[in-house]
Amino acid sequence: MNSVLEVSNLKKRYGDLVAVDGISFNVTRGEVFGILGPNGAGKTTTLEMIETLRPLDSGQVLLDGIDVQREPQKVKRLIGVQLQSSSFFDKLTLTELLLLFGEMYGRQVDATALLDEAELRDKAKSYVVQLSGGQKQRFSIAAALVNDPVILFLDEPTTGLDPQARRHLWGVIRRIRSEGKTIVITTHYMEEAEELCDRVAIMDSGRIVANAPPQELVRQLLAKGFKKERVERLASLEDVFLDLTGHSLREE
Amino acid sequence: MRLKAKLMLASFKMFIRQREAIIWTMLLPLFMVFLFSFVKFDGIGHVTVGIVNHSPDTTLVSLLRPIQALRISEGQEDQELTRLKKGDRSMVLVIPASFQTIGHDSLTLYLNAERPQETQAGTLILQRALDELVFQQNNLPRHVLHTELVNSRNLTYIDFLLPGILAMSIMQSGVFGVAFGFVILKKRGILRRLLATPMNTSDFIFAQVTTRLLVLMTQVLIMVGAGVLFFHLHFIGSLLNMIIVGMLGGIVFLSIGFALSGISKSEDQVAPLANLITLPMLMLSGVFFSRSNLPGFAHAITNFFPLTYLADGLRSIAIEGATLSDVIPQLIGLAVWIVITLFIAIKAFRWE
Repeated sequence: MNSVLEVSNLKKRYGDLVAVDGISFNVTRGEVFGILGPNGAGKTTTLEMIETLRPLDSGQVLLDGIDVQREPQKVKRLIGVQLQSSSFFDKLTLTELLLLFGEMYGRQVDATALLDEAELRDKAKSYVVQLSGGQKQRFSIAAALVNDPVILFLDEPTTGLDPQARRHLWGVIRRIRSEGKTIVITTHYMEEAEELCDRVAIMDSGRIVANAPPQELVRQLLAKGFKKERVERLASLEDVFLDLTGHSLREE
Repeated sequence: MRLKAKLMLASFKMFIRQREAIIWTMLLPLFMVFLFSFVKFDGIGHVTVGIVNHSPDTTLVSLLRPIQALRISEGQEDQELTRLKKGDRSMVLVIPASFQTIGHDSLTLYLNAERPQETQAGTLILQRALDELVFQQNNLPRHVLHTELVNSRNLTYIDFLLPGILAMSIMQSGVFGVAFGFVILKKRGILRRLLATPMNTSDFIFAQVTTRLLVLMTQVLIMVGAGVLFFHLHFIGSLLNMIIVGMLGGIVFLSIGFALSGISKSEDQVAPLANLITLPMLMLSGVFFSRSNLPGFAHAITNFFPLTYLADGLRSIAIEGATLSDVIPQLIGLAVWIVITLFIAIKAFRWE
């Protein structure tokens, strides 16, 4: 069995609003799986149900073969979680936070190695409040790795970051992927999905409307006879921006 | 167990790195005591006299009562002498059983040795009153006032105030510390992040509570220490008993804090609720002033305030040297409040 995550017929409603409307998908071991969609499509609710943080109304989630509803504690040990706008205690340094999070999994972690992974070694003695937006997100990922998870969930990790910080974070995510971790990432930036994801599911109003590798989806669209009205430009404004301001990070 | 210890260590670190919290819980109460130490509430314009009348003749007492300069209370001899020794009386007049309006008995007047001004004035007033009794009867032999100096522990306002302020700061840091602390953890998604780990949530609560009780213990030690060193606190009690009573009170107020953090969604909601609960107690539980001046019904109600039990318990131990068995009513009161507030806290507390 090559699927590390199997979601079948997952449903969640809040009153009259159907947030997640019976979705199913599998995530293969070692891939980066993207969940795309506009705000309110149900991406975060889906992730939170998989992460044991929200009860399911119906359906089933199997993580490494373990039922999330039946054995949430076991699942928590297997997953790494980066929550949208997640934050950490104020008055503990990054090193202390990582050690403490490690203890929550009964592990004594190598904080320096984790900080290296997120390129934050020089911030080891800083508090989270002293970090820039990109550094915070990278730290959040480092904290999600303390238990050496089977699968890593990243909920809109690059929202609100400048282009440099976003690209830098992509680098961190690619490296984690190259170490063999499975990653599930939500985003509403399409170029990010194209850069990072082996496969994407596009959600709209609680449903999955497409599920395939990005290139495959583009091919399907072109096969339907789609043509962009304008001639494809060879560079975008973002390329101009990065050309003028460079790729180096602007955070201290 | 290891996780509990690590969590405790972490929350303790967080506490001591939070400068504002240290100032609020440790320094502010001391500063209040310091301010109040300039206020002289003791002996303003009158002499407190205890009268022990062994005789059926009440002429003398009724002659003394209207005198404005005297504040008179009647009681049993041993009670009145105890009060004199505690500094509650400046003088105690003992009228012998044989006393008659017309006669030449010897009356004993015990004087508080440390209040010469008051006792001199008081003695003069009493002597004049006795003379007046006899004067009406012309040329009869006079009553003799036999005086005796007594060394009293003259408790000052600080002795009354400091245990009260200690109780107050236990209440404030319990209610406000927990309520604000947890609402912020909740609002900023920190609790949610913790829920994503397999950590047992009760371990986290345990660490929070023990850290705060440890802080409370430090509060007791600092207040009593500073009181004795800088404010002439007449501390004769047991520190351990102070800590035990302080802890019981601490648990009540921590529970209130947890309950409030469960009910409120933001800091803006916590503040008025916390004030609504703590302010009446602050004013009416005898922290700053004795509750004896409250009207009867208010006195009866405030008897049951948790802060009243805590302040009274701490005060009796600190300045009267009360043992735990002397403060059983307070211990029972606090225990009942623990049951009530803990129940509410468990019902109301929410992780998200």
